[in-house]
Amino acid sequence: MPPEAPPDGPPEVRLRDLAPSPGSVEFVARVVSVERREVTRRSDGSRRPLLSGLVSDGTATVRFTWWDPPREGVERGTVLRVVGAEVREFRGRPELTFSWKTRIGPASPAELPRLDPEEVPFRSVKELAPPAEGFRTEVRVVRVGPRSVSVGEERRIVFDGLVADRTGAIALSSWSDFGLAEGEAIRILGGYVRGFRGRPQLVLDERSSVQRIDGADLPEPAEWLRASPRSIAQVEDEGGGAAVSVEGIVVGLLPPSGLVYRCPTCHRSVKSGICRVHGQVTGQADLRARIVLDDGTGALTVHAARPDTERLWGVTLEECRARLRDLPDPSVLEEQLLEALLGRRLRVRGAGSKDDFGVTLTPESIEAVEIDLDAAATELAARLPEDR
Amino acid sequence: MALREPAWRVTARELETSLEEEKGTGERAASHLLSPFGARMNRVLVAGTLSPAEPIGRDEAQTFWRARLADPTGAVAVTAGSFQPRAMAQLRSATTPRSAVVVGKVHLYRDRSGVGYVSVRAEALRSVSEVEERSVLADAVRQTLDRLDLVERIEKGTALSDAEARTEGLPVAWVHAARDALRRYPQVDRAAFRRELKAAVRRVAGDSGPVPRPPSPSVTIVRAPPPRAPPPTPTPAERAEESVFLDLLDEVAEVSADGYADLKELLARVAERGVVPGRAEATLNRLEEEGVVEEPIVGKLRRA
Repeated sequence: MPPEAPPDGPPEVRLRDLAPSPGSVEFVARVVSVERREVTRRSDGSRRPLLSGLVSDGTATVRFTWWDPPREGVERGTVLRVVGAEVREFRGRPELTFSWKTRIGPASPAELPRLDPEEVPFRSVKELAPPAEGFRTEVRVVRVGPRSVSVGEERRIVFDGLVADRTGAIALSSWSDFGLAEGEAIRILGGYVRGFRGRPQLVLDERSSVQRIDGADLPEPAEWLRASPRSIAQVEDEGGGAAVSVEGIVVGLLPPSGLVYRCPTCHRSVKSGICRVHGQVTGQADLRARIVLDDGTGALTVHAARPDTERLWGVTLEECRARLRDLPDPSVLEEQLLEALLGRRLRVRGAGSKDDFGVTLTPESIEAVEIDLDAAATELAARLPEDR
Repeated sequence: MALREPAWRVTARELETSLEEEKGTGERAASHLLSPFGARMNRVLVAGTLSPAEPIGRDEAQTFWRARLADPTGAVAVTAGSFQPRAMAQLRSATTPRSAVVVGKVHLYRDRSGVGYVSVRAEALRSVSEVEERSVLADAVRQTLDRLDLVERIEKGTALSDAEARTEGLPVAWVHAARDALRRYPQVDRAAFRRELKAAVRRVAGDSGPVPRPPSPSVTIVRAPPPRAPPPTPTPAERAEESVFLDLLDEVAEVSADGYADLKELLARVAERGVVPGRAEATLNRLEEEGVVEEPIVGKLRRA
């Protein structure tokens, strides 16, 4: 328990230190998310309201259940002082229950536990795996940019990017504008890590704090953006990564490649005119290539979208549709695409994630590479025994 | 679920010398061919000069095509059947030798005397420019040298753990394959193989003289069978049986669609002439050993 607890009343705990116990706890925390629900009592069929969601005090984020809450509910972002909450454990993580015995009142953000940065454990990027939180980390912003997303009914701006230290790089997603700029070295407090499309992502929001630092020992963005390629075996070993750079030869295509049709609403691919989510739709034509790239040590799949596919193939979507009018067989297009790509040497940079079928790379850049044959021959000849 | 098998970068010579097959166990398990130089191959990527393809087998419905891919170190058969329609179409498309890259699965066939023939069943292949061919060959030479260096390091007693390999950026699969290659091919002359790569390097440098045609058939017995006593000179009776056998072989081959003599049919015909089955087999073995008759496909004979 923290030593600075006031002498009167039960000691205040930090959410990081929560442990299931028969007694009750007192704490100050901010509501991060909240949802109103009702459950039906089995005994008499009456409805009982409850609020559930997440509270955070900067040291940890914990799920709560609030039985018989006030009619007006509680807004996201409100800071609460909670006295007499019960702690239970669910799947190895503590959860809070507020019942009629619990006293809940508003508090000011100043009452939130003061976090001394030195007191929060330091984590390098390599150590950041979901569901980490309550850490501090120091990174360089490799790139960052705003993106508009819809969350339920509302549009919000999220700042997406990539941050890195000497141990690795991780995707960044900030729901709050910290004015981040490429190349800045920052200390982050109050972020958390979640898994997004199979890759860890560092998430910042209004609870997080960002501080500019000198960061002399952090890598420059260019080091990440122009990182020399690593072997695909290594990438497979590490399970992908936020900034992967590989070089290999195209040894095949996976279906569906070539001309595909997508749902106009969600851009999922449409099979037999049916979208998985939106049912019967009129698909929109698109080009893609699921390239199998192999460097002799391993193989991975590169998902090339339309612009890259058109550039590598030298055939546009319009030309594809014209060819299809002459010869209505989409599999011919796939063959022609394979014919254009097989054996090509490509350098691909992007984010990689791994599943049962191996590593898939979502590319940021795909470049055709030509090797200097004279230099290669000289280098190889030097590795062979001298003529007698 | 296993990951996709990588396409090992190898030269034709390395394929020719690979004779240690590992059958996978379990459902859909991959088989591998272990080379003496530290490659555990299921899939390969090879580049070279591809000859026009010829059909194999007489069954019209199950056509199978074969061509030879030669690089400066050797040559290997490339096949494609109706299960690889695109590769088969590509294989058949040329009437003159051309530069090509081939991605495919390695396949080892052993005849009765234990001689192994390695072929590549093409999954995909493409005619390429000479520059592209040389660039893929450069990869093959570089990775072969990397693997040879690794084999020699382990031979000198470096105990390379998986963790150490990862720190060095070496694929763990390479380290395992190198270790097994040393164990399974104790007699191989790796220095000689390294010297043979010189021709490939000259080709990378653009020395584009005609690719030397390697001796045919390209077969190497790496694990030499125990030396056999020189065969006794055939008796006149045996010589007579041989000539009957060869006459019948020619007759059967003459009327067959693919130009090969079917083994079963031939043995039946030989039996009609009153030769005891055991004697016919012995005659065939002798003819094969003397290099008069060969069996390039199981059950199909022709004059060598």
